[in-house]
Parts: sequence; structure tokens; C-alpha cells
Amino acid sequence: MNRSDRRETMELEIPFGSNCVRLSGFEWLIVAVVVSALFYCVPILWKHIEKLKPGPDYRLPYSLSDDYWLFSRYCQWACSREKTLVIGDSVVWGHYVSKENTLSGYLNEVAGRHKFVNMGVDGIHPVALAGLLRYYGRDITDKDIILHFNPLWTSSKKHDLQIEKEFNFNHPKLVPQFVPNIPCYKVSSSVRIKSVIERYISFFSWTSHLKRAYFENPDLPRWTLEHPYENPLKNITLQLPASDGYNWSGHLPWYEKGVTKQDIQWVAIENSLQWRFFKYSVELLRKRGNRVLVLLGPFNEHILQRGSINTYRQMKKKIEAWLKQNNIPYYMPEALPSSMYRDASHPLSEGYVELARQLFKSAYGGSD
Amino acid sequence: MLFHTWLFVLFFLIVYLIYLVLKRTRFRLFWLLAVSYFFYACFHPLYPILIAYASLVDYTVVARMAKSSRGKAWLFVSIFNNLALLGFFKYGGFVTDNLNLLLSSLGISYAIAEPGIILPVGLSFYTLQSMSYTIDFYRGNIEREKSFIAYAAYVSLFPRLLAGPIERAKSLLPQLHTTPRISIQDVTDGLSLFAVGLFKKVALADYMALYVDKVYAAPEQFKSPALLLATFLFSWQIYFDFSGYTDMARGLARMMGVRLMLNFNNPYLATGLGDFWRRWHISLSSWFKDYVYIPLGGNRHGKLKTYRNMFLTMIISGLWHGAAWTFVIWGAVHALGRFLTRELEGTSFYKEKVPGLVKQLFVFALVTFAWIFFRAENISDAWLIITRLFSSGLANPYCPLLALTLILTVWLYQFIYESAIRWVLETRAVRIGLVVAMIMYLAVFAKSSETPFIYLQF
Repeated sequence: MNRSDRRETMELEIPFGSNCVRLSGFEWLIVAVVVSALFYCVPILWKHIEKLKPGPDYRLPYSLSDDYWLFSRYCQWACSREKTLVIGDSVVWGHYVSKENTLSGYLNEVAGRHKFVNMGVDGIHPVALAGLLRYYGRDITDKDIILHFNPLWTSSKKHDLQIEKEFNFNHPKLVPQFVPNIPCYKVSSSVRIKSVIERYISFFSWTSHLKRAYFENPDLPRWTLEHPYENPLKNITLQLPASDGYNWSGHLPWYEKGVTKQDIQWVAIENSLQWRFFKYSVELLRKRGNRVLVLLGPFNEHILQRGSINTYRQMKKKIEAWLKQNNIPYYMPEALPSSMYRDASHPLSEGYVELARQLFKSAYGGSD
Repeated sequence: MLFHTWLFVLFFLIVYLIYLVLKRTRFRLFWLLAVSYFFYACFHPLYPILIAYASLVDYTVVARMAKSSRGKAWLFVSIFNNLALLGFFKYGGFVTDNLNLLLSSLGISYAIAEPGIILPVGLSFYTLQSMSYTIDFYRGNIEREKSFIAYAAYVSLFPRLLAGPIERAKSLLPQLHTTPRISIQDVTDGLSLFAVGLFKKVALADYMALYVDKVYAAPEQFKSPALLLATFLFSWQIYFDFSGYTDMARGLARMMGVRLMLNFNNPYLATGLGDFWRRWHISLSSWFKDYVYIPLGGNRHGKLKTYRNMFLTMIISGLWHGAAWTFVIWGAVHALGRFLTRELEGTSFYKEKVPGLVKQLFVFALVTFAWIFFRAENISDAWLIITRLFSSGLANPYCPLLALTLILTVWLYQFIYESAIRWVLETRAVRIGLVVAMIMYLAVFAKSSETPFIYLQF
């Protein structure tokens, strides 16, 4: 029996399958074209269907902090206007205040017009921020930027993502998935590969957007278990959650909440992963033609014990030296009055007013 | 490293590209063997030692058998060695549990220590495959494989290593020896099989599992409708899970120019239990038929002995699936169901008057009932589910309508596939539309998971 005979015999002996889903090369080509077109077009069309109309002092809804597709869309909107972007974590976002009482809100008030955009993302630490700007902030070019660095992220090895023990930190999809190795990030290789793919194929971040915006659940199958008789399509109302969905009640300063002074074990800035990635973000933004002003803190020094304050001030000096050395404009305010802090790093409304006033005066000389 | 993970996709792409380069060289089999052992080592670094040992013993046994007149003794060595491996790794805990139970019922306070051994994935499959080689050689059905590399690659071929199909040496070894001629059609067929398998596993089986796991974890908290629907969903979950795995395995092998046997052929369209076993896990059913049922006497010595042989075969099949009494009962229920449908099929009324659809639904109901024993944690849970099915009253089952819709759609597809209007499914628009729909469903709706295949535990 020659090879082709044997092959034909085998074709007869071994059935292909028990269904008709058997496509030729040409048919697979059609599938590839159709799927690619859908992957490419649907997110673009969606932007026309689902309206994003950021009003004054808009910020990303708290429940959509992990919605990077929406962040990217918000970037496009902000960058298409003459705006100054204020980028950072929950200090910029305004974790304990309403959207009008944030840093950008008060900067707008001081400036007398809506010039500053709140691009804060709750919980975004510098390692994740670098990923966010790199993969989802590609539109941020040739803009004025205030980039906030919160020293809290270097306040312990855990905050700095340098402990071996696994823990759930914020925004894991944005951190480097393979190199450099983040010791406390221990998900499987498949999850890492998926995160990488999602960064480059916007269709996947769009599906994440759908799930987060309309189902409050990244796991749709599980959603149907909780809503067994509902039509999932009916949930897609095309109405995004409100910008101010988060409950910021509680206006007490830190010491009235029973918080005592802390002995913080700062990570040496030269060894800090978070600082390393913050530097990367600054360089990335500058490479893209942006004019970056770094805002450091102001950290609540009143919460620190004496030893911690000294280490913190030394760290500030090192950061300042690097900024000077690289000709990066910066503003490094003194700590605000103790009563203006909600915790170690978040100011209360009064704190934001003061910070905005100081920052505006320092950076813009009182007029823009 | 499971088929439905991104890591495997990456692994396969690398393996496949090198395979294409090496396919005409003598390194092809070395490469297949090396990547198969690497694939197995991803589950546990010591597993390759175990499979190498099993392969070496059977390879040596056949080599000795070929030169010796004492073939039966060498066959015994092979069977003993494979059963010993299964016994040690799979049944150690079961045997000690039952011995301890016996000792305590006799009032003896001594307890044998639990072996605490984890069953290596794939062991149940490759021991059967390896054993079939020695038995077939002993029977004179195949020639001796001279190359150990080829034989080891036959036992460990990674697409089918974890859960079959249990391939016969007669079918697979010649394919390994032949330089594969991989056509575009092989690649596209492989992709088609893989896509369907992936959809079955990720979009269907893992979805069904959410409801099934919830109900079966605490059956005492659910009433009849929920238990009924969970059992119904499990019937499909296990089908989608296992046939999905097989489709992916066959697809991967096909892309490499290797054809693996069809393992599932729309089993829930069977009109009798015998028919069901010709459609469900075909490679295992045919293995048990050839190496257990027929050697026991098959249907050659009258009805009583035929039923005895069927019963023994099903009990052994049950035990092969798992080292627990629930699996033995599952096998027994299937044996009884098989007697029943066989008797019914002997009557002209059943044969001629009962519509095919009724027979299919009857067989499906029997099989689904048996799955209760397969899925339940233990016999008391199984009994609890059965009693509550009939006596716990009604309550809203909160079963996702989408899951039921998906199942009914697949079932309808299968009915049409085996009907006179199959041509509808064969049209280009339908086939392409289905694949696009599956891909989009996977991309938008399904949650990528790393849930292992159910059959990896057997």
C-alpha cells in the first residue's frame, strides 16, 4: 500500500467528526476577515453609540476604575481639547471628596475656567500607571501634564510590590507581566499572556468595558447565574455610571478617626520599584512631546513618627535631585495643616483648596 | 498546561513550527517524544519518569515475547505491571478505605495508613493504550515495534496523553513512522476541530459547571426542579467537557498530520444503551469490548452469560472511571439499562411502533439518571439527590435560561445533523456563520478559565 492509498484508507476509516463545522482554507480566510473586521470596527462604532460627555470636573466613575478602554476614550476626549491633564492615583481622583472638590476642580476654580482635567484613576500605583499610560494613554501627546507622585507607594515593601507573599494589589493587568518580575504577582502564565493580548487588541478591553459598565461584573457567565431569567442584552442601556457614584461621606480629619502616629518603614528610593516606574512614566510622557510638571505629595507628615519623618525628608531630597538633574519642572509642597488630611495621603476639601492655590501660584505664577 | 489556555497556544505554536521543519528528518520522532515528555512534566516533574517506565516495560515485554515461546508469561508481566501501576496510584486509597471500614465493622481498632498518593493525570489512559499493544502483539494482530523512541512517542503523544482517545498501536504507530504529508486541509481541519472543542469546553462545559457545582455542593438545600436541572446540565457539561477535550486533541494531532479516532458521535441521540456506548467515549468502549467483554465470552454463550459479561464489563468500566463505589453503581446502572434496552429492542412493538425520538429521550433519561452517581460526592449524596428529586416539592430553580437555550440549540443541531435535512448545516454560510458566532461568543461572553477537564481526574 503506497502512502496516498494508506491516506485514503485512513480517511475512510476515521471519520472527521460528528458535526458539519469543517472549513476549507478559503472559508477560514473569510472567517479571519469577518472576525478581524468585527474586532476592529465594533469598538470604533461603539464610541458613536455610547455617548461619553464629560461635564465640568468629570472624573472616571469609581466603579469603572479598572475600565481601561474608557480611560483611553477619556484620554482621546481630553487630548482633543486644550486641556491640562492632571494624572495620578486616588489623591488626584479625590477619594474622599466630590468631583468638584478635587485638585483639578479647585485648579479650575483658581484659573477661572475649565482648563484642568481630572485624569486620576483610583488605586493606580506608579507601576500600574506606567502600563496605563503606555498602553491606554497613547493619545497623550504634546500636552501640559501635572503628574502626581504619591509617596505612600514607597511606604512599605508591600506597597512597593516587593514582598514574596502573594496579595491582591490594584490593577494587576497593567503591571509588567513577565519582566521585570514582581515577586508578589503570582498568577499563571496564561493569565499574563491574556493581559498582554488585551493591551494590544482593543476589542478585548472593549469587552471588559461592557462587562464592568453594564454588569458590574467581569464574569458574565456568573452574572447569568445571579440573574437567571434576565436578558443580558437588556442590561446594555448605553448609559454609563455617574461620575460621582462613590460615597465620599465622612469629612473628619485623620486624628479624629482614632488613627495614631505611624512608624513607616520607607523603601529606599533607589531600590523602589514604584519610583522606578514613576520615572519611566515621566520619561515616556516627555518622549511623547508632553510638558510634564511633577507634583510630589504633599504627604501627611503629621501622621509620621520622628524617625519616619527624617527618612521621608531624605527621600524627598533624592527625588528632588533626580528631577533637577533631568530638568523636570516640579512642585514639592510642604505638608498641609494636619486638619486638612483624611489619612496619610488624601487631603480633605480644604486641603485640595490649599494645594490648588499653592500649585497654581507656583506653576503658573498666579495666571495661566 | 491545558489546551484551552494561552500558555498552551504559545507552546503549541513553537512546537508546531519546529515540527514542520523537522517533519522530513529522523529527528521528528525525537522531537515529538521530547515535547510530549515536556508537556507531561508541566503537570509534575516526575511524571515523565512514570510514563517512561510504563513504556519501557511494555516495549521490553514485547521484545521478549517476540523471542520467547513463553508469550503468555510475558503478557502476564505486562498486564500485571500496568494493573499494578493503576492499583498503586489509583486504587490505593480506595482499597485502604474499604479495608479500614471492614476492620472497624469487625470491631478491630487497627487502621491501615492512607497511602496519600495523587493519581498522575493520564495514567488511566496510557496504561490501557500500552496494554493494548502487548495484548495485540500476543494475539498476533500487530508486529513488534522495533524503535523504542517510536513506541514511547506512541504512548506519550501529547495531544492525546491526558485523556485519550485511547489509540491502538495498529492505527497510530504506522502514522508515526510515516513522514507526515501535512496539507492545507489538514491544518484547516485541525483548526475546525480545535475551534469546536474550545467552544464546547470554555463556552459550554465551564458555564454549565457553575450551576451544577452550586447545586451538587449542597443538594440538601435544593428542591426537585433545581436538582433535576442540575443533573440535566451535568449530562451536557460532561459531554461538552470530554468531547471538547477530544476535539481539541484530534485537531492538534491532525495539524501534525496524525489522525486520531473519533471518540464521540452525538451520544445523546442514541436509541439504546448499546448504541450509546458506540457513541460515547468510543475508544474506551471498544477497548473494553475487545479486551474485557470478548475475552469473558462476549455474547457467545447464551443470554445469561452475555448479560453477566456485560455486567462485569460495565462494573470494571465504572471502576476504571474512579476509585469509589459511586462509579461502581454508575457502571451497574448502565449495565441494567443496557439489559433493559436490549430486551426492549428485541420486541417488535419497541422496534417498529415506538418513535425514534421517544427512544432517544428514554435513553437520555436513563443516562442522565446514571450521571447522578457519577457526579455525586458519595453514595449518600447520590441517594439524597434521587430521593429529593421525587419528594422535595417545587421551588424556583434559578437556572440560567441562557444555559438551557445553549443546550437545546446544540441538541437541535445534532438532531438536524442526523436527519434528512443535514444539508442545511453543510451550506457554506451556515458553517462560516457558526464559526464566527462561536469565536465572537468566546471573545465577548465566555470567561477564560483554567478549569481542568473532568476526565483528567480518571
